[in-house]
Amino acid sequence: MIRLPTRPETIVKVADWAVERGSVLTTLGLGSCVAIMLHDAETQAGGMAHVLLPSKSLARDQNNPAKFPETAVPLLVERLKALGADPRRLVAKLAGGASMFAQLMTPGTVQMGERNIVASRNALRAAGIPVLREAVGGDVGRTVRFNLTDGQVEIRSVGAESYVI
Amino acid sequence: MEDVRDLKELQIDALREVANIGAGHAATALSQMTNRRIMISVPQINIARLEEVPELLGSPQDVVAAVLMHMLGDLTGRTLLLFPERVGRRLCDMLLRRPEGATTAFDALEQSALKEAGNILSGAYMNALSDFMGMLLLPSVPSLVVDLSAAVLTTTYLNFGHDRDFVFCVETEFRIDSEEGLRGHFLLLPDLASLKAIFDAIRLT
Repeated sequence: MIRLPTRPETIVKVADWAVERGSVLTTLGLGSCVAIMLHDAETQAGGMAHVLLPSKSLARDQNNPAKFPETAVPLLVERLKALGADPRRLVAKLAGGASMFAQLMTPGTVQMGERNIVASRNALRAAGIPVLREAVGGDVGRTVRFNLTDGQVEIRSVGAESYVI
Repeated sequence: MEDVRDLKELQIDALREVANIGAGHAATALSQMTNRRIMISVPQINIARLEEVPELLGSPQDVVAAVLMHMLGDLTGRTLLLFPERVGRRLCDMLLRRPEGATTAFDALEQSALKEAGNILSGAYMNALSDFMGMLLLPSVPSLVVDLSAAVLTTTYLNFGHDRDFVFCVETEFRIDSEEGLRGHFLLLPDLASLKAIFDAIRLT
């Protein structure tokens, strides 16, 4: 069955970002990646970045700011400002950072999902943006729909009921 | 080798041949387990940016059953066996000798069956490579997830790979004969450092 979206929906791919007003931002199949979502309720402006790696030092190609929390958060804030949002009103929600195939990890090492969560929280703290809600960790992937009219985020996982944060 | 994009045509051909030998043995094992004819494709070497990994095989939204194992010994890396969810259920029917369509969920028994299938297939693949290249290759225990293709593929590369920019896989598609759409993928994911060991073993410089 094809369900027609009630309002325009923008797909945010891996290591990509989007900033819009009043629409829906969607990202599909977050595994150890994290979706950082910022929202300004008054202007219904919001942004999403699908970050891949916890630190720029892990990649040689550092040109894509949406790949890392430390560069993605300032980028979203900057673009939201341009859309009329007040940075002091911004609030954040996080989703993702799952640990799949956990039994294959070398004992004592920290999963990339966990590192992405911590790095995302740190980047938000550095920008002075409070984290309202999180749907992070666990061992299942997530598909996320971020509704910019009310800032609500619908989380779906395989074999589970969807829920809203 | 520093970068997977530096692979030469001759080396890619050699990797294809190595994969063909491994996949051939894995297909024989799968054929004996299911009592079906199994056909395999010509192996492909896929190179992609890390960002493009969700689109590497099929749609990122597809739900897949995936068995991941480490490859240890003279070569290091991983093997990943991927089936669309429907094919995973059908495979459970075959492995557990059930009538078609009897498997509706992936409970403990079904998970165990798929992991065992992964174990046997990867084992056959690695055995063939061991014999061909005169190397010791050891598989780890298998781990199974049933999740969105995008999440499975990105996690496989992010959590277990060492390359954060360009990644690659040696991919073979196999089809279970006489049934439409019953297909899966077998991925060999050697660490970049192990490619040199492969080329040395087959005297390709």
